[in-house]
Amino acid sequence: MSFSVGIDIGGTFTDFCGIAEDGTLTTCKTPTTHYDLSVGFMRGIRDLAKRTGLQTRDYLAQVEALRYSTTVGTNALIERTGPKLGLITTAGFEDTIFIGRSRSWADGLPTHLAQDMARIAKPQPLISPDMVMGVRERIDYSGRVICPLSRADVLAQLQKLVDRGAMGFVVSLLWSFVNPEHERMIKRIIEEEYPEDYLGAMPVTLSSEVSPKQGEYTRTMTSVVNAYIHGLMADELTRLGNELRDEGYQRPLILVHNTGGTKKVSRTKAVFTHNAGPVAGMYGATELGKLTDCPNIVFTDMGGTSFDIGVIADGVLRAHDFIPVIDRWRTNIPAIEVKSIGAGGGSIAWINELMQDALEVGPQSAGSMPGPACYDKGGREPTVTDADLVLGYLNPDNYLDGEMLLDADLSHAAIEEKIARPLGLGVLEAAYRIRRLVDARMGHEVFNEVALKGHDPRKFVVYACGGAGATHACGFAPYVGARSVVVPAVASIFGAFGASTMEIQQVWDISRTLKLFRWDKQAYLEDLESFNQVVRELRELAVRDLQLEGFSEDRINFRLELDMRYGSQYHLTKIELPGLFLNNTDDVKALCELFTRRYSEIYSPEAAFPVGGINVECFYLAAGVHNPRQEFKPVALSTAGVSAAARLESRPACFDPAAGMMDTPVYDWLELVPGNQLAGPALIEAPDTTYVIEPGWTYRMDAYRNGILERNAA
Amino acid sequence: MNASFRYGRDHEVVQRLRPEPLTAREQAAQAAVDDLDFEIFRHKMDMVALEGKETTMKLGASTAMRWGDVAFGIYTAQGDLAVCATGIYHHAVLSQIPVKYIVKHWRNEPSVGLHPGDAFFYNDPFYGGVHNADMGLSIPVFADDELVCFIGAAVHTGECGGSEPGGTVCGAKSRYDEGLLVPPIKIGEQHALKEDILSMLSTMTRDPRTMMLDIKARLAASRIAERRVQEIIAEKGADFFVGALRRILSMTADAARKKVSRLNDGIYRQPRFMDTVGPESQLLKINIEVEKRGERITLRFHGSSPMLMDRPVNSYFQGIIGLAMVYFCGWFFHDLPANNGLLESVDWEFPDNSFINAQGDVPVSYAPATQVAFTQGMFMCGARMIYSSDPLRAVASWFSAFAVTLYGGFNQLGDPVADLTPEINATGAGARSDMDGVDVAGAFFATLSDCGDVEATESDRPFLYLFRNQFNHSYGHGKYRGGAGVGYGLMVHGVPWLGMGGMGFGSQFPSTLGIFGGRAAPPAFLQMVRGSNMGALLASGGEGLPHNMAELYGGGEQVEQGKREYADVSLPPGPFMGGDTYYVPVTGGAGYGDVLERDPHAVMKDVRNNLTSAAAARDVYLVAYDPDSLYPDLEATAELRRAARQERLRRAKPYAEFLAGWNALRPPAQILRYYGDYPLPGQPS
Repeated sequence: MSFSVGIDIGGTFTDFCGIAEDGTLTTCKTPTTHYDLSVGFMRGIRDLAKRTGLQTRDYLAQVEALRYSTTVGTNALIERTGPKLGLITTAGFEDTIFIGRSRSWADGLPTHLAQDMARIAKPQPLISPDMVMGVRERIDYSGRVICPLSRADVLAQLQKLVDRGAMGFVVSLLWSFVNPEHERMIKRIIEEEYPEDYLGAMPVTLSSEVSPKQGEYTRTMTSVVNAYIHGLMADELTRLGNELRDEGYQRPLILVHNTGGTKKVSRTKAVFTHNAGPVAGMYGATELGKLTDCPNIVFTDMGGTSFDIGVIADGVLRAHDFIPVIDRWRTNIPAIEVKSIGAGGGSIAWINELMQDALEVGPQSAGSMPGPACYDKGGREPTVTDADLVLGYLNPDNYLDGEMLLDADLSHAAIEEKIARPLGLGVLEAAYRIRRLVDARMGHEVFNEVALKGHDPRKFVVYACGGAGATHACGFAPYVGARSVVVPAVASIFGAFGASTMEIQQVWDISRTLKLFRWDKQAYLEDLESFNQVVRELRELAVRDLQLEGFSEDRINFRLELDMRYGSQYHLTKIELPGLFLNNTDDVKALCELFTRRYSEIYSPEAAFPVGGINVECFYLAAGVHNPRQEFKPVALSTAGVSAAARLESRPACFDPAAGMMDTPVYDWLELVPGNQLAGPALIEAPDTTYVIEPGWTYRMDAYRNGILERNAA
Repeated sequence: MNASFRYGRDHEVVQRLRPEPLTAREQAAQAAVDDLDFEIFRHKMDMVALEGKETTMKLGASTAMRWGDVAFGIYTAQGDLAVCATGIYHHAVLSQIPVKYIVKHWRNEPSVGLHPGDAFFYNDPFYGGVHNADMGLSIPVFADDELVCFIGAAVHTGECGGSEPGGTVCGAKSRYDEGLLVPPIKIGEQHALKEDILSMLSTMTRDPRTMMLDIKARLAASRIAERRVQEIIAEKGADFFVGALRRILSMTADAARKKVSRLNDGIYRQPRFMDTVGPESQLLKINIEVEKRGERITLRFHGSSPMLMDRPVNSYFQGIIGLAMVYFCGWFFHDLPANNGLLESVDWEFPDNSFINAQGDVPVSYAPATQVAFTQGMFMCGARMIYSSDPLRAVASWFSAFAVTLYGGFNQLGDPVADLTPEINATGAGARSDMDGVDVAGAFFATLSDCGDVEATESDRPFLYLFRNQFNHSYGHGKYRGGAGVGYGLMVHGVPWLGMGGMGFGSQFPSTLGIFGGRAAPPAFLQMVRGSNMGALLASGGEGLPHNMAELYGGGEQVEQGKREYADVSLPPGPFMGGDTYYVPVTGGAGYGDVLERDPHAVMKDVRNNLTSAAAARDVYLVAYDPDSLYPDLEATAELRRAARQERLRRAKPYAEFLAGWNALRPPAQILRYYGDYPLPGQPS
């Protein structure tokens, strides 16, 4: 028996999912050990082996692939534990990373903080000003050398950085993505001065290699972030790899990338590991979607403090036109977007006394410490979880599989004191409003995420993951316009599940401006080679890289996407090319028409402006290797109805404050079987979550134990 | 023809900045609005506006669209701004005037009318409140046959066909020099733009392609928002929508009144001075008085300089109120919804014959300069007004004068271009009561904007940047210093020539004053070198060239040769040949508190980071320090500062004595040509 294992590190728990070749799933969770992530990691692996009925060594020997969504790099950024780096840039532009396009104070900041203009502040830089040196050189927009690089100048600036204690170098020059020669010359000089076989050897990161894209701030920050976390990640992952080898794992550790694929540790750029966990979850949703013939999915993950949203259209994970912000730094990696908003079980309800005593929920959160009032850890503010408890949805004696006891009286008191009494409402009514408000806001956010990517949210199925996803899905789905919600069987460890199913893939990208249709001549591009050459270069990079992973070229599949724009626009719209190359003018014309068609669909036909000229600005080549995957075997659907064992004692719950608390049936998820169906109102208690089936909704368990929630036709 | 219509400008509609009276329809519709549904609606409408703003910026093409900010608004059927997503609050608030114009003049006019699928365009600054480059588009939205709201977007398009390129006209003698001048007109019907009108609009500007893309961007975003509104109406009904939209306004008005009532009553005064009227250096005064009493704030401007018949610094009064909203929405009322309900707690009094209350045909291209000069006074009055209740939000002013580079011609790819450079959004923020202002923070009037990347500008604009770095000393010193701005150098590159000029003020005396003893940001000016040997210098290795403003003005020998000139930041555009160079200062924010109270460690950290000079550490902050390590000697510093305080006391004189000496001073007559009566315009001595 072989296994595929996914591991996803979260703030509180590290999740594990093992899939046997027969499709059997085994999962577990261990507390995340922030002091040394490998401790929790290895503990979880041992637990997974035990649950599979094997000794750890035997289990690991049979693991085909161990795919890991790590937060090692992100932690290093947040905790500022990276090395002292020196930045070499074009003289005259030394302050680029401090200027940060001027608005870097807002990058990575929640909206409500970014709106408080009197209190804004830029983040502490990763490289201090005295560690930035300019070298005299200049290349223009066309790649022409306007000012040659001076070796003597490079040596002089280098010496200053070394004297100041540089432990590594980032080189980022203007227009290096068009002409990287000066960056490469600097690297050669550094390597000559500090050869690899000397103890003083220091890593050199070139922006033209990490991120060959236009925009010197984001390109430089991508390179800086990569260099900042590279060493720490390499050390930690090497150590982890050794531990795994000692325990019997015989293959390379594989990392999940935020671009939607996986690569071996040795073939991974550090910057691609940021926020890979939610992307793994999205990948998992894509895989489940294939099983259920569901290509358009909006993935959500509701936890204690945040609500993550990701959009999957046409069954493919795609990078959209967005700026990934890592910690507080803008980058330009082709990552899959996962939007995170401050809404969760810990969101605090309050009264906005200025706004005619309007009820508000969030953005402040009680987090996990002190947490909601019902946790009895000192929290006195009413939260969404408190509202859920007062409404009878959560079982105070069986929360998180009974591992945490909730105090409903504290919830009641907090809501009464802070919300109900000041507003002249009953506690039930106040709790109901808190829940409706947070559900509506999450639903609106989901709607916008899908709509801003040019899709109709009503055509999407909501995947509700995370500990609170099943509890609120019926509440927020109507605001998305969705009629159907899927709560995966492994919703609470969905990132790990997704990781365990991921394939090898990486995206190679480069900025190149090509005028496909010229405004001045109203003519199509004739020099097709200028287009095809870029694709060939990217393909060569991809093939070389994947060959080093041991794959022959014929196993590699490619997908080409282009960032395109009309005339003098700056922002770009992504288009997937049917093939890789342009063979004749008809292909160019077809591509232009495809762009205008897609643009019109997203933004309305009135917005299209084909006569204004059409440019390609950036090429993305996704190259992957298809692995034979584990087949998930559907279980035959039962027609026998819900068993008596699945019925728990009913309890009062409120779905309409006017009607008050109504006796509501409660079910044990573990005892439900595929094919079981329930009509709301109903509650289902699972080990890691509680399903709230609202009136007007039905629940059924599908052949893979996923919960399918459907809104009845009005 | 509609009987209410009078050809020419409508002076009545521009007065209607506050919410229109509640209609019977709106009143009756309130009954349909449940509290909980209303809160959900409010959030949904914010999301709709946000989607509209994002979409407009994605699709637009001008610099303001690329790096800037879009005022995307949802207006009631009467034209009141109820919901917006923006950081350029003035455009959102002022855009209600064109919408109210449409309601007043075109709704019942048979030859125009309002119908589903219509689109209206406008850029007449009399209605937009600022200047011709600010253009807007709005669409009416119907539920069955009932007009329920308008949706629109306003943003600066960098070129409007004036007699000079780049959106402002330094030499304008009347409004007829300032280019496109369009009151609200219908440019689209039945969901199609009218090609004949687009052809006219595009023909009248230097960059027709960008003009078209910007119009289409505004329209596409409005249409998307229209779909969302229709979905809400389908679900909740028109009664709910009309009632809830109006309720947002009334709720905001209540909140604003409540917030104002909590401030101490008082009168706060701040005279503001400008040093240019556009093409020449002249002194002008905006006399600002802010009275806070009970639930109301009253802005008064008596004693301001008179209207200028043939100079472009005039501003319509509505533009001044619009800029007051920038301060209110971003700083003072930052926790309230941004809509014109806020103006229910604000009154204003503008004198006749004043350049901040423009009338008739006078030019207004430079109105943004005048308006930010006013806003600086608003920051200062606001800081004093709010200090006792919320000292953390009593901030010194951000840079408030502009140093904008305007250009027009053809780019290196052969395409026409005319616009401004994005460093308009690279100014420093004002200092706070507990921390320095943010270095290169953006622009206070467009808080969602940024200054973009050099590579993006160079990709299709005919420039080679020689440097773009933080500009040390560009801020006001103080206990907490203002944030630094940037300095940048440009070389005309890849084209034979380009028209270039500048817009702004603050070259003759400081434009951005400090607060509570903090110092002003310094004056700044342009440098240009025609017939420069810069190209050859770069080709031979670029040794000795300046890489920031400190080096440019460092006093050493300049290796760049050519005809070197210095000019005010307000510079009429002229031709610059390929290879000519142009150096621009974008200044920082104002200081807060006494320089002698600044932490010596903070001073020396700035010295080490090249943000403060050693001379300033020594002479301004009076810090004694080790010249090698650049760390302060705290004891010696304390002694220097004690001595300085004693010297201050020694110089002190009774107020009456000071006043007598001060009043005896008088600026030279040649800079008072437009000032009005001196010292108090409007009051002959």
